[in-house]
Amino acid sequence: MTRLTVRNLTKSFGKIEVIRGIDLDVADGEFVVFVGPSGCGKSTLLRMISGLETISGGELWIGDRKVNEVQAAKRGLAMVFQSYALYPHLTVRQNMGFGLKVRKESPDEIERRVNEAARTLQLDKLLDRYPRELSGGQRQRVAIGRAIVGDPQVFLFDEPLSNLDAELRVHMRAEIAALHRRLGNTTIYVTHDQIEAMTLADRIVVLRDGRIEQVGSPKELYARPDNVFVAQFIGSPKMNVCPVEAIRSPLQRAGFSTGGATQAGLRPEHLRIVDEAEGILCGRVSISEYTGGGALLHVELEGAPVFLVENSGDDAPQPGDIVHLAFSGSDLHLFDAEGRACHREPELA
Amino acid sequence: MASLNETGTTVRAPRAPWLTLKRRETIEGWLFVSPTLIGFLIFFLGPLIAVVFYSLSEWNLLSQDTTFVGLANYEDALTQNPDFWQVIRNSVIFAAGLVPMNMALALALAMALARPFRGVVFFRTIFFAPVVTSAVAWAIVWKFLLQGDAGAVNQMLATVGIDGPNWLREPNWAMAAVIVTRVLKMVGLNMILYIAALQSIPRDYEEAARLEGASEWQIFRMVIWPLLAPTTLIIMVITTIGSFKVFDHIYLMTGGGPENGTLVLAFYIYQQAFEFFEIGYASALAMIMFVIVLALTVVQLILRQKGST
Amino acid sequence: MALSQPQLATVKRTCWMLSLVVVAIPFLFPFLWMISSGFKGPTEIFGEPTLIPRTWRWQNFVEVFDYQPFARQYFNSIYIACAVTVLTLLLSSLAGYALARMRFAGAALLMVFLMSALMVPEEVTIVPNFFLMKWLGVMDTHVPLILLPVFGPHGVMATFLMRQYFVALPKELEDAGKMDGLSRVGIWWKIALPMSRPALAAVAIITFLFSWNLFLEPLVFLSSLENFTLPLALSNFTDPYGAPLWHLQLAATSLAVVPILIVYLIAQRQIIESFAMSGVKG
Ligand SMILES: Nc1ncnc2c1ncn2[C@@H]1O[C@H](COP(=O)(O)OP(=O)(O)OP(=O)(O)O)[C@@H](O)[C@H]1O
Ligand SMILES: [Mg+2]
Repeated sequence: MTRLTVRNLTKSFGKIEVIRGIDLDVADGEFVVFVGPSGCGKSTLLRMISGLETISGGELWIGDRKVNEVQAAKRGLAMVFQSYALYPHLTVRQNMGFGLKVRKESPDEIERRVNEAARTLQLDKLLDRYPRELSGGQRQRVAIGRAIVGDPQVFLFDEPLSNLDAELRVHMRAEIAALHRRLGNTTIYVTHDQIEAMTLADRIVVLRDGRIEQVGSPKELYARPDNVFVAQFIGSPKMNVCPVEAIRSPLQRAGFSTGGATQAGLRPEHLRIVDEAEGILCGRVSISEYTGGGALLHVELEGAPVFLVENSGDDAPQPGDIVHLAFSGSDLHLFDAEGRACHREPELA
Repeated sequence: MASLNETGTTVRAPRAPWLTLKRRETIEGWLFVSPTLIGFLIFFLGPLIAVVFYSLSEWNLLSQDTTFVGLANYEDALTQNPDFWQVIRNSVIFAAGLVPMNMALALALAMALARPFRGVVFFRTIFFAPVVTSAVAWAIVWKFLLQGDAGAVNQMLATVGIDGPNWLREPNWAMAAVIVTRVLKMVGLNMILYIAALQSIPRDYEEAARLEGASEWQIFRMVIWPLLAPTTLIIMVITTIGSFKVFDHIYLMTGGGPENGTLVLAFYIYQQAFEFFEIGYASALAMIMFVIVLALTVVQLILRQKGST
Repeated sequence: MALSQPQLATVKRTCWMLSLVVVAIPFLFPFLWMISSGFKGPTEIFGEPTLIPRTWRWQNFVEVFDYQPFARQYFNSIYIACAVTVLTLLLSSLAGYALARMRFAGAALLMVFLMSALMVPEEVTIVPNFFLMKWLGVMDTHVPLILLPVFGPHGVMATFLMRQYFVALPKELEDAGKMDGLSRVGIWWKIALPMSRPALAAVAIITFLFSWNLFLEPLVFLSSLENFTLPLALSNFTDPYGAPLWHLQLAATSLAVVPILIVYLIAQRQIIESFAMSGVKG
């Protein structure tokens, strides 16, 4: 069984604590994605799980084994690195078979497993090339191939696609998803690309400053963020947040109760431009950014804050136009003074 | 701490093993450095400490007995023995002659050879060749060339009507000769350090200055020279320390003579220890040399700090 | 007469080249003179100076080997330099790797400690080392000539040079090695070293030459002719009264220098770069 259990994990570099008590359970076969701003400790946490970084405190279990002090190679994991980390002096075949060779597998077995992995990843024709003779996408595939030949219990990925161009990234993302469906290994994947996180993850872990902000399925994080940070971190363009004070009267007029909330949030894609009669909020378009399918409007509301509004269709308002915005009550997010979500009473939902 | 296993019962976590990953790393790290470290302790640090004790004793290898004499050896050097101050004077003259000459020539050659042109590799190769040649060979050949009347240098000077001195037998000329030949031997090293530094200066600076109408000399003074300052500092200290260490060159060319005119500190230490067997006195000299080199290094560090702020 | 622009440039260029050639003479001339005089007889060598010997005395190169066990001495230099080079490569890359990559307690202190060696000249420690070697019973053997360069300031310099290079290598490769199950030694040997060829080559070159040219240590530790190394042997071609036998000395010096020069001419770029690398660090 390859559950992964993390209990109160901490890590300090000298005096600086970069991981501050992480608790997490990853189920067998689950695809978990770590996201968070740069420097929040995603890589460090992943490297602690992999064994490349020592653990300062807490416990790490893989299956039924506590592995805090088990060497990286003996944890039954495989890792795919951002820079691919292919050995430049070895061919693709040797790169992929290297770990097996170190583990003293028989040459026949190595051959068999390398070929199998190569077939899975369509690397058959590249086996005798050197890494420098491969394109970025091919190198990435070799790196993944190297990870799967060892038949690990858990896959770890640290921003595996960030060195690829946009098109290839979309393609490889789909390949990774397909691979996971086929192999079904427990997977932990670090990225700061939201779309990657949303499309790949069974569950997303949002990290900030070495702590978990929220864990949940992509839908949960999007629909019911626990706090302002997650609300703004998930979703693109990011959620509009303003003091409740600034829009209290329009909200009351529309019949939304704000309870004790001090901040209100609305996603740009949930704001519709409507006639004056239906409008809840009203503002002036200051900038209109054409995005192809529609336009992203910067709307200066009466109460001062600027809201982003996604407008589909060709008839985008021009800068200077007055627009009226409406939204449904279930899309209104309310947060208290500490930024925690105020879960509204059922009758309002 | 307890944790849940898959059936929901609790299992006690095994106690953390003694050999944690951190301990393992520490042990492995020390194992990696241990060959170097052990050898270093035995053949370098130990002797360095021993020198301190030697320097505090009267110990003549011939008489075979050792007595503790405190600072007497230092006193002897600094106040009694006239040779010592002559040696220091010689060492300072040697350094004062060698360092500026070496650096000026190195910089001039580097300026000439930093940019590619036809034949640049040829010249670089020639100027650097003495660096890879053994100091012994270089000294032997120059001693041969600088002999009195029979030497090739003087014979050539004679053809243009100059009566050359007996270079290595007259104190002042001998000092000049060892300095110049040493510069010829080592200048290539500083030259390539300067070339590397020059090549790392972006051309933009120079071109910007040229567009503003600066002359070649102004470009050098105002752009290149300030940018070379860190390199100049390092080269200066390395070369100065190196000049205090010179032994083989002088040993072979002049044997410290004539009239101790080229007897420098490194040679003096050798002479006291291995020709006169005055171990205590030689050790005191070694300590003095150590302090000089240390002082030079500290000066370098201070200057470098200043330069970076 | 006014010169046109291109003519002026040509004149400038020629003057420029000529001045470089003049400066190059004292660098090049000793080598030429050394080789030519190595072919001259004991009388011609003091006659009118000519670059081309009037009579080529090949016999010099035979007498060199009769005068003292020069072949043996030559071999000594080669094998000592090889031993010093191999040991230095091994130890400096091991220690350099640990200092670059491993986070172990005491590493920072150790760095400072080792660095202090860079500022202590060999002359300072040679006296105690003399007694140490005597006590070890290895006087007049090659042991001191191998151990002292490896563990002295030169070895420390090599360690730092290696460290500097390892620090700049991509770390993820080594992490991948770890995940693949390599031990520390395995990572060092199979990943870090193969990627460090330029640094290893630089250390090898400067170390070989360092050992090859060593003079003070052989002078202090060696006493029998058959144990001499080349630099010591070269200084030893004298007549019974101590006057140099120039024709033999220069022939022998040529034999010692020319092979190195040939290697230098072939690999000059690599060799010069190696010195530049060590100079900047050292
Ligand atoms: N070896 C180290 N020594 C000291 N501090 C470190 C070390 N490695 C990482 N850190 C610090 O730990 C924090 C977390 O780093 P980490 O690499 O885990 O961030 P990350 O979330 O992966 O960021 P990114 O998205 O930029 O990759 C950072 O503040 C970083 O400076
Ligand atoms: Mg990272």
